[in-house]
Amino acid sequence: MKKLRLTSVAAAAALAFTSLVAYAPASNAKAKVVTLAFQGPLTGEEAQVGQDELAGMLYAVKLFNAKNKGKYKVKVVRADDQGDPAQAAKVAPGIASNNKVIGLVGAAYSGATIASLPYYKQRLLPMVSPSATRVSITDPGAEGGALGLPVFHRVVVTDKVQGPSLFKLATKGVSSPKVFIVDDQSAYGVGLVDYMKPSIPAGQGVGFDSVSDKTTDWSATIAKIKTAAANVVIYTGYFPQAAVFFKQLRDSGYTGILAGGDGVLSPNFVTLAPASVLEGVRLTAGTVPLAEIDAKLEADFKKKMKKASGVYAAESIDAANVFLSCIAKGVTTRQAMLPCVKSYKGKSLTGANLSFDANGDVAGGAMNGFEVKSGAIKFTGPIK
Amino acid sequence: MIGNFLDQFWSLTFGGLSLGFIYILIALGYTMVYGVLRMINFANSEVFMVATFATIIIVRDVYKFTQTSEYATGFQLWLILGTALLASMAVAGILSVLIELIAYRRLRRMNSGVLAPLISAIGVSMVLAETMRILTDSRPVASPRAMEKKFIGKFFDADIRLDNTIIIVAAIILLLLLLTFVNKTRLGKAIRAVSMNPNASKLMGINIDGVVSITFLVGGLMTGAAGFFYVLKYENSSFSIGFELGIAAFTAAILGGIGNIKGAFYGGLSLGLLETYASFFLGTQWKAVTVFTILVVVLYTKPNGLFGEALTQTRA
Amino acid sequence: MINLRDKGAEIWEKANRPQRVIMAICFIAMAASLPFMGGTILNTPIADYESVLVFPVAMFVLMAIGLNIVIGKSGLLDLGYVAFFAIGAYTMGLLGTRTSLNTWEILPIGIAMAMFSGIILGVPALKLRGDYLAIITLGFGEIVRIVALNLGTLGRSEGILGIPTPPPVFGIEFTFDSHRIYYWTLLIIILLAIWMVRRLSVRRAGRAWESIRQDEDAAELMGVPTFKYKVWAFVLGASVGGAAGVFYASKTLFIAPDNFTLQISILILACVVFGGMGNIWGVIAGAVILGYLPDRIRFLSDARLLVFGLVLVIMMNLRPDGLLPRKKREKALPSKEKS
Repeated sequence: MKKLRLTSVAAAAALAFTSLVAYAPASNAKAKVVTLAFQGPLTGEEAQVGQDELAGMLYAVKLFNAKNKGKYKVKVVRADDQGDPAQAAKVAPGIASNNKVIGLVGAAYSGATIASLPYYKQRLLPMVSPSATRVSITDPGAEGGALGLPVFHRVVVTDKVQGPSLFKLATKGVSSPKVFIVDDQSAYGVGLVDYMKPSIPAGQGVGFDSVSDKTTDWSATIAKIKTAAANVVIYTGYFPQAAVFFKQLRDSGYTGILAGGDGVLSPNFVTLAPASVLEGVRLTAGTVPLAEIDAKLEADFKKKMKKASGVYAAESIDAANVFLSCIAKGVTTRQAMLPCVKSYKGKSLTGANLSFDANGDVAGGAMNGFEVKSGAIKFTGPIK
Repeated sequence: MIGNFLDQFWSLTFGGLSLGFIYILIALGYTMVYGVLRMINFANSEVFMVATFATIIIVRDVYKFTQTSEYATGFQLWLILGTALLASMAVAGILSVLIELIAYRRLRRMNSGVLAPLISAIGVSMVLAETMRILTDSRPVASPRAMEKKFIGKFFDADIRLDNTIIIVAAIILLLLLLTFVNKTRLGKAIRAVSMNPNASKLMGINIDGVVSITFLVGGLMTGAAGFFYVLKYENSSFSIGFELGIAAFTAAILGGIGNIKGAFYGGLSLGLLETYASFFLGTQWKAVTVFTILVVVLYTKPNGLFGEALTQTRA
Repeated sequence: MINLRDKGAEIWEKANRPQRVIMAICFIAMAASLPFMGGTILNTPIADYESVLVFPVAMFVLMAIGLNIVIGKSGLLDLGYVAFFAIGAYTMGLLGTRTSLNTWEILPIGIAMAMFSGIILGVPALKLRGDYLAIITLGFGEIVRIVALNLGTLGRSEGILGIPTPPPVFGIEFTFDSHRIYYWTLLIIILLAIWMVRRLSVRRAGRAWESIRQDEDAAELMGVPTFKYKVWAFVLGASVGGAAGVFYASKTLFIAPDNFTLQISILILACVVFGGMGNIWGVIAGAVILGYLPDRIRFLSDARLLVFGLVLVIMMNLRPDGLLPRKKREKALPSKEKS
């Protein structure tokens, strides 16, 4: 198993920052104020995902502002859409027509993204989403090209990439896998399963269940898993439910493999169940948790944001950094921002190359594998 | 399918039963208040949510358990469970009484009907849920495992687990205590009197405000106990769990016949089992549809719920 | 506490016909000029002011008027009103994307679908009373959402994309960002709904609802076919919700089950009670305020829903009959509920 080479990451980060400084124009005494926006659920029942992502973005902005003191001061507008397309449809026109905003991190959810897109496309506001994974947004097969063109970009891998990888990782080393797949009825979870299905060899998928993300009691699903005698269980949903589900499944005596996608990859995940229960849980993601990139990074995040990093933390920082490095190059208008994002070539937090393809998807889109080991999420190498 | 169901029957039944008892206790928070005031105590779901955090604080912060610590045993275990149960009940009881004072009392004195308190209660729910959301950074919070979830026996093919057993036994004890309180004590009699006829009770010298406060206290205590059992079984909580469970418990109260304790009991048990069986047979996604369809059928054939006495007659 | 409603009614009743017409026109003109107030103190931070006027404000007003028929006029507690909104929206979504019908042609179909489901739900549910009805309707609202979430033809959790906007009327184009046009169209639909409700409430149906609300048993004994009129109220309420749904889907271009949660039902109920149940002006005021407030207080950031909740509690305690309560003589409300 390969380990991430931390030194190279640190070097890349340092390089990125020095280049930022080098490109910055000679500054006046007064810092130039530049405004970015974040769109995601910040209040209401779905607030957890949005608040975690916002913290990631604010962290990146904080670093940037400290680095560029006197030159730039980046402000963040918080566009709370509660994860609800209806709310997004009234927030988006407001953000789109606010000419001060030159870039948007978000929207966090695919549904809200789709509801917002017409307004951002009309006003050419570049978006970089850390977590909208629905394939159709960047699918060039759609009528008139991809839905999100030209403004939508994402630093997260789509369901199409992640689905098969998740299945591959979950069944790795299992001689005769009998896989039971559970989704959380959200667009994210269902999408992941839909794109996973074609990659399942005949006879290996022994059962499916679709369980609302509000469910607390999993007895029925567990009974089905036992009936199907599954030895691999994949959950496509978010970490709070994953922790509860895995806990109940293990407590019922299940000894097979447990696996989940990037919605589960949150440092909070391992705090939600006893270490012994989560031992060996396999996870996939296009990125790496902060603590696995560098323990110091996580410590710094905790110090600056006053809470541990959360779900999609690295993606949020990457998304913010796309805009921030453009700003550092002197891009301070929306007109200049869009081409800058489109042609962006930089490093992600993990040190990998980060750029976007013609449809706005993150180029390459390699998947990483992880495993929970004594209460911590450990990187186990890319999934090939 | 049937064969599979029979194989899993007892496991499903135990899961459903312990869920059912949690429903029963929350349903009591609705049903006690409804019995006395004919009002949906909408904020009860959030009282439950807050109570779960009380247990978590006891286990995590007072007894300093973490996800990697050794499980407690013997006397220490019972001490922890006891303190957590009492803390949850106390928090929920006090909160319930406060909510009545702040959000309902004035409206009740003004004879404002049933809807104004309902909206006021919705406001209180929002305030409680959002306050907890801000306090918890919008994140779910775990209660570290203090008690090993060990198997203590087998019933046919199903494993009997310690936590489920504790929930069922403790809930039954609480219910018996509640029944004794309502039926045998002076205060209990006062509650029943007010429930039957508030005006006559007032004339008989019963302090209505006091009785209402006691009712909210008792309802809150039961809801608080549910919060403790919930954390014991599921070991985590979040600011957003109240709404869904509140609706389920309210459904249970109606299913059994709202306004009387027996109704909450049978309603909670039926709902717990029904949800579990339906999820197994039809797929979990159709659980709510099945439950509500059965509810319609039940109410259509028995308009006062499965075991409800005719409220219209006792209302006078 | 002063009763604004009675003051208003006093002025209205003193006025003669031309004066009334002038007052009505002034009122409508004021409502119609709201989109031009974006530069004033009314402007909403972050969210787009004109979009907020369309959804939630005008949509909430329309739905609250519909729900008011059910709850304020005839006293039936409906906690699943969002179901009819969803049925209207999904009718628009399905027919708009699969057939060549346009919004105006789908509108009556959507209304009919909502009315039909109103009957399906109403006939069994209205045999029950009070809070039991509440839970059944609540369940119905959830069932509609869950069906949408699980049926492939309805797009499951991904919803329906690419719903067409209405075709031009008299050369006026409806594009996705012409919020003002949508707002004014909604205003016309709202006026139609108000007109319908006002016509009905002075006729036989209105009197029947009134008697049901006051005392159902007595009404039944006096020969009012209570069941029939309850179903009627339910179905009419549903039709308004369905109309709102069709128009909503045609505005947002994209609908998903997430748009139709129980929270909407509860919010609309709050609008009705907050404004003043049974009084259409109160209901409108309630819907305008509760629709608008969460967006106006966005500067509070994280705390805005908390503040919104507090406003509900405080206002209900200060004005338990709502902002603009119904006339005093009508207020002998659910005396039977209180024993």
